[in-house]
Amino acid sequence: MEEASRSDEPNRNPNIDRSSNPNPLSSIISSAHVWPTIDGPLGLTEEASVDYARRFYKFGFALLPWLWAVNCFYFWPVLRHSRAFPQIRNHVVRSAIGFSVFTALLSAWALTFSIGGEELFGPVWDKLVMYNVADRLGLSGLA
Amino acid sequence: MDRNHHQRPRSSSSILDSLGEELIGILTPVSICMFTVVLLVCLLNSDPSSSSSFSSIATAAYSETDSDSPWDKLLGALLNSLVFVAAITAATFLLVLLFYLRCVAFLKLYMGFSAFVVLANLGGEISVLLIDRFRLPIDAVTFSILLFNFSVVGVFAVFLSRFSILITQGYLVVIGVLVAYFFTMLPEWTTWVLLVALAVYDLAAVLLPVGPLRLLVEMAISRDEDIPALVYEARPVIRNNNLVQRRVWREQRSNHNDDVENSEAVTVVRSEISVPLIDDSSSRPESSETFLEGIGLGSSGAIKLGLGDFIFYSVLVGRAAMYDLMTVYACYLAIIAGLGVTLMLLSVYQKALPALPVSIMLGVVFYFLARLFLEVFVVQCSSNLVMF
Repeated sequence: MEEASRSDEPNRNPNIDRSSNPNPLSSIISSAHVWPTIDGPLGLTEEASVDYARRFYKFGFALLPWLWAVNCFYFWPVLRHSRAFPQIRNHVVRSAIGFSVFTALLSAWALTFSIGGEELFGPVWDKLVMYNVADRLGLSGLA
Repeated sequence: MDRNHHQRPRSSSSILDSLGEELIGILTPVSICMFTVVLLVCLLNSDPSSSSSFSSIATAAYSETDSDSPWDKLLGALLNSLVFVAAITAATFLLVLLFYLRCVAFLKLYMGFSAFVVLANLGGEISVLLIDRFRLPIDAVTFSILLFNFSVVGVFAVFLSRFSILITQGYLVVIGVLVAYFFTMLPEWTTWVLLVALAVYDLAAVLLPVGPLRLLVEMAISRDEDIPALVYEARPVIRNNNLVQRRVWREQRSNHNDDVENSEAVTVVRSEISVPLIDDSSSRPESSETFLEGIGLGSSGAIKLGLGDFIFYSVLVGRAAMYDLMTVYACYLAIIAGLGVTLMLLSVYQKALPALPVSIMLGVVFYFLARLFLEVFVVQCSSNLVMF
């Protein structure tokens, strides 16, 4: 993860002497530019980011909370710097809220199922638990 | 690996400063893939001597049983490997043809589809095996939601050209782990002969002028496009606020690297690739796949390693794990050494190289040496309390 933390740093050294460095990329990197994605200069530009953030947010409604989580992870600098990127921040914050709500619901159900066990559910528990379902459908017939 | 010293007058960086970082960038995912496959093999306890009911295109010609003589097993394994290598050659030539006809959109779609099949199907199977082994009280609804999420985001990671580098790399490693685990379930003799056959095939396909992979690479270079295939690309190294400038293979056409590299520097595009998988629908659950094998340099100068290399390294180590952990250590060190040699050759020759031959040959040699000689030695020393 050391590479991720290094390129995560949004502000490159602004004091670099640009005149002696004709490389245009380094001037882009060395400006005090905050990049919207976690990849920094290797990631998306701001315009493309709005598009991506919006599309991820919309797709996440198809029962994809992990996509919302990936959205928040990818645009983490947007969450950190609360005043930059207002449009992206809108979608990312909503994705974060959606992810938390969905996770709370799903984990409530999963924990109830696993901790409650047969005492709570009765015979339905055996019908719903994964290893029985797999045996019934023949999914684990490999090894 | 070239440096533009005139562009960074004040830095006295040498090639060694970023070499270690780049090596780590490739060695880490390979090691993680191998470690995960070994872990899965040890956890799921596949019995190496049992004849598995696992059918795939690699066992189409001959299914190994315990009662055959060694000579029969060897012949059967050779036949199996021949069939498999022929299938892979045919698939790769098909890929070359499609790339030549510029059906890139179709290839990318197929790639996304195959990634979904691998993640959902194979990933689901392995998860079910793990749940069964550990008797985790997870219910079917939660499991299907999680699996669905995992697969769909994986398809996004592989399909989209601009996506989080870390997540794409993670998903590629996961795909490698899943496919490698299923390849380790092949019969033993078939696995070893297949690995050697694939090493020879890789050598031929990348270096011979008529080899399909070489044709593919040359077409990609001449059109200045990226091959749509599953390739792991290490994160480009950024040092001193500059991307490490490297003389990429495609620049060897021009003698003047300066202006070309300047224009390369502006486009910080990570080349993205995905894999074509050929599904053999008659065999379940494993599909014969063609993965681009070989090692090269990306457009931003980062090292690229084909996913097929990840898979077959892990297959070798997984198979070694089925015998004993001692062979795992020997094979792991051999493979890493082979990969180091390949990377050095890559820096010397600056073109796409096959990453399988050196590592696989070293790995196979060390496996048999460890199994036949080292084990006897270590066991004798331990039981007589001399060493270890």
